[in-house]
Amino acid sequence: MSAIEQQGVALGGLEQAELPVARPTRRRMPTPRAAVLRGLGFVFVVALLVFMVGPLVWLAVRAFSGIWQYPRFWPSHWTLQWWRTVFDDKSLGRSMKLSFEFAPVVTVASAAICLPAAYAFSRFNFPGRRVLLVSLFATNAFPKIGLYISMAGVFYSLNLMGTFLGVVIVQLIGTIVFMTWIPTAAFSAIPRSLEEAARDVGAGPLRVFFRVTFPLAAPGIFVAMILSFLAAFDEAQGTFLVGIPNYITMPTEMYTLVLNYPEQAAAVFSILLAIPSVVLMSLARKHVMGGKLAEGFQIR
Amino acid sequence: MTDAQTPAGLLIDRVSKDLGGRTIVSDMQLEVHAGELTCLLGPSGCGKTTTLRMIGGFLQPDAGAILIDGSDISRLPPEKRPTAMVFQNYALWPHMTVFKNVSFGLRLRKLPKAEIRERVENVLELVGLTHHIHSYPARISGGEQQRVALARALVLEPKVLLLDEPLSNLDAKLRVRVREDIREIQQRIGITTIFVTHDQDEALSLSDRIAVMSGGRVEQYADPRTLYRHPATHFVASFVGAMNFYTGTLGGDGFRLAGGAQVPVDSLSSRTPGEYEIGVRPEDVTVSSNGDGGAEASVVREIQRGHYKELVLDVGGDEMRAFVAPDLPAVDRLRVRFSRGVLYRDGVLQEQSESPVAVR
Amino acid sequence: MVLPPVAVVAVFIGFPVGAAIAYTLGRAGGPNSTVALLAQRQHIVHHGVTTAAYREVLGNPHVRADLWATVWVTLVTIVVVVLLSWAIGLYLRLSDTRISRIVSALSVIPLFIPVVIASYAILTFYASQGFIKTLAYHLGWHSFPTLGYTLTAVAIGEIWVNVPFGVLMMSSGLNSVPNALIEAARDSGASLPRTVRSVLLPMNVIPTVIVATFTGIYVLGSFTVPYLTGPSAPNLMGVSMANFFSAFNQPQQAEVMAMIVFVLAVGIGTIYVWANVRASKRASITS
Ligand SMILES: Nc1ncnc2c1ncn2[C@@H]1O[C@H](COP(=O)(O)OP(=O)(O)OP(=O)(O)O)[C@@H](O)[C@H]1O
Ligand SMILES: [Mg+2]
Repeated sequence: MSAIEQQGVALGGLEQAELPVARPTRRRMPTPRAAVLRGLGFVFVVALLVFMVGPLVWLAVRAFSGIWQYPRFWPSHWTLQWWRTVFDDKSLGRSMKLSFEFAPVVTVASAAICLPAAYAFSRFNFPGRRVLLVSLFATNAFPKIGLYISMAGVFYSLNLMGTFLGVVIVQLIGTIVFMTWIPTAAFSAIPRSLEEAARDVGAGPLRVFFRVTFPLAAPGIFVAMILSFLAAFDEAQGTFLVGIPNYITMPTEMYTLVLNYPEQAAAVFSILLAIPSVVLMSLARKHVMGGKLAEGFQIR
Repeated sequence: MTDAQTPAGLLIDRVSKDLGGRTIVSDMQLEVHAGELTCLLGPSGCGKTTTLRMIGGFLQPDAGAILIDGSDISRLPPEKRPTAMVFQNYALWPHMTVFKNVSFGLRLRKLPKAEIRERVENVLELVGLTHHIHSYPARISGGEQQRVALARALVLEPKVLLLDEPLSNLDAKLRVRVREDIREIQQRIGITTIFVTHDQDEALSLSDRIAVMSGGRVEQYADPRTLYRHPATHFVASFVGAMNFYTGTLGGDGFRLAGGAQVPVDSLSSRTPGEYEIGVRPEDVTVSSNGDGGAEASVVREIQRGHYKELVLDVGGDEMRAFVAPDLPAVDRLRVRFSRGVLYRDGVLQEQSESPVAVR
Repeated sequence: MVLPPVAVVAVFIGFPVGAAIAYTLGRAGGPNSTVALLAQRQHIVHHGVTTAAYREVLGNPHVRADLWATVWVTLVTIVVVVLLSWAIGLYLRLSDTRISRIVSALSVIPLFIPVVIASYAILTFYASQGFIKTLAYHLGWHSFPTLGYTLTAVAIGEIWVNVPFGVLMMSSGLNSVPNALIEAARDSGASLPRTVRSVLLPMNVIPTVIVATFTGIYVLGSFTVPYLTGPSAPNLMGVSMANFFSAFNQPQQAEVMAMIVFVLAVGIGTIYVWANVRASKRASITS
């Protein structure tokens, strides 16, 4: 294997599959079988396109539609009136502002709580390490509704119901798994010899962490933070249960909206709600596709 | 060299390959006889692996054809070719035992169980690994893994065996032992073999013939002795073995170096007087302490090499290296002459005789 | 250093879950007292435990229908997501063309979209006047069934949401198989399908298990997708749990349902843990 091949292998990520295995059929005359395969591939890609993107496009068109009668493929009349409706609604504006307050707070809090743990999980092999890592997973396994119901009891007794802190905690719960697992994998992927080499040339442990370890783990941490931000941003039910009536965020509003407003207004609101996700995920896209997310789920 | 009449084990016929916008192999011509072991030798990046992968079917040549036993295989997928490859990092499947690894190809060919068992056992015996038949690859040593990879290739009884730097991961001692194993096994079953390496020692001690490659071309294709004694180009001469090079003039009484020293030469590839570049192996530099002709030289340094001694000499301002007997007493001044030299003009060997020297 | 997250999990998840277990077994004291105060149809004991709440819930035919619906949708989603992820992952591993890059971009789109919106979009897409019905109409298939507000729509939604994770997981796994191992198989005479079966498949058991288990656990506990796209009954347990809590004011019954789902999820989770432990055991021997 040449050096280039080894590289292609080592990088191992969705986007780095640069050296496909040789397909000797490529240069031959297209046989009937190859033609059929190609046709099937084309159908598959189109079906995937419709399945994945179709609903989003269908919804997005709705946000600009005036009159749209079945069975037409697009509206007969276009309008921007639904955007005005949404922007004129004071409570919707307030919920947007709230969403953008909670998500960053939750992300930072979650990072502060989980990142040291992630470092410890990757660097020290203490007894019960794997049990703890796996038990975090239980936070995913217990259905959220059931959790929120009984959490309500705890929240009442701690006077957290209807408070800012209460909402932060509820949203934080949903981020702990990403925030621990993905950075743990990111830290583990850094060879210890890199840290030792830095110690060797005279850097203290803190300097080693901030100049060597952290920069190398940064992509993984970044992915974890973006996912946490989005998890907090999209959390609806817990926020609803705990935050009501003081704190209604965008996704919580979305549930009422779907039931009480015309479809077009809900479509407009959907687009607005999707913008932060699209922007943030686009930023993290390279690392998410590069395998940072996937690595986090293989516990070692 | 391209005589289509001879029964060819393998013929690489004017093959070219571009990768990433660069020509990696250009117009390559190589014929390997049946049962012969040929080394592809060359510096890193010269296209050895690319060539091997084209023979194995993992790359398609852009031009030219590859023939095995006279039939063109260049359009066949790897699984249909009568070749078997030993990959540089062995590429043993980690989830299969040694037995499973070796028997995989036989199982694909739907051979009866008993026969598979027998053939695997035979080939493992050949490489001396019967005791590891049920081990997983990760549990055996690097040298053993290498031999499993060899067994996996041999068990299919391919017409052509391809080895890509199979020894590069082994320590020096093991490398020598395994390469002797490979040679011995190869000769015993007489299989046509292409062996890629950038280690000239390995190539010289292993091959029937060596193809020295540079920049995607074959510089010279010859047996080890010819390659060493009659390097066809300056590149081959400097890449294979140590060589002193001087530009200068060949006259009636020896070779005049650029620095002015006149060195007598006993044997030369050409006697036509003129401007040349001369190549002299360090062992062909003869030294004597008494003044029976020869150029004056002063000893700059002595390096003990165990079974011989290397002298670094200053001959009229030119540096010269000579291999001498290890017990030669240390002196400051010597006289030197060349017992043998090869002459180059524009990097190409100048030869008068009918010496068997090959292409380009 | 590991204390903070463990403490948060213990206080805000471990403790409530413990309380929930006690509550489902009839103990309404302590942390459960607030919830129990206004609840209806509770089964309470002051000493020992009672399984009356479990018996009531499991005896309820509607709940049983919900449970089967949940299991059915979960299984369908797991199977489809695993197959799709493998198909896409393999395609991406074995080819690098413009089309494969489009496929890879398409398959991660759901990561970018909040689940609420995705569910709503999928509902309108498959609704009685949605794109699929419109398309069927124009193709002359007027009796094409409306999928909106059916369990099929729920399954479609769950698949849509879970495909990116599956594809990322599978391509990461498939890409970590060195080219040489694939080529060695081809060299031994294996066709591409055979290479997939004998080399890629056995070397990617763990990623496959991870995709299957996380998808399963996600679907079991999901609320948003079935709430927005599913029928009123039977629907997934997540929705009926919420109904029992907020519409019927029966938190104990809701918690019992949560426990049932939890047990199923833990069952699936065990497979994940077992696979991981097995893998790391093997890794520790080999290295
Ligand atoms: N897929 C590819 N795309 C672009 N360039 C390539 C590709 N494969 C190989 N090359 C280039 O072709 C050249 C020759 O590669 P090759 O692997 O054949 O060298 P080699 O002689 O085997 O070297 P080494 O001794 O280092 O293994 C290198 O410069 C390499 O960068
Ligand atoms: Mg090479």
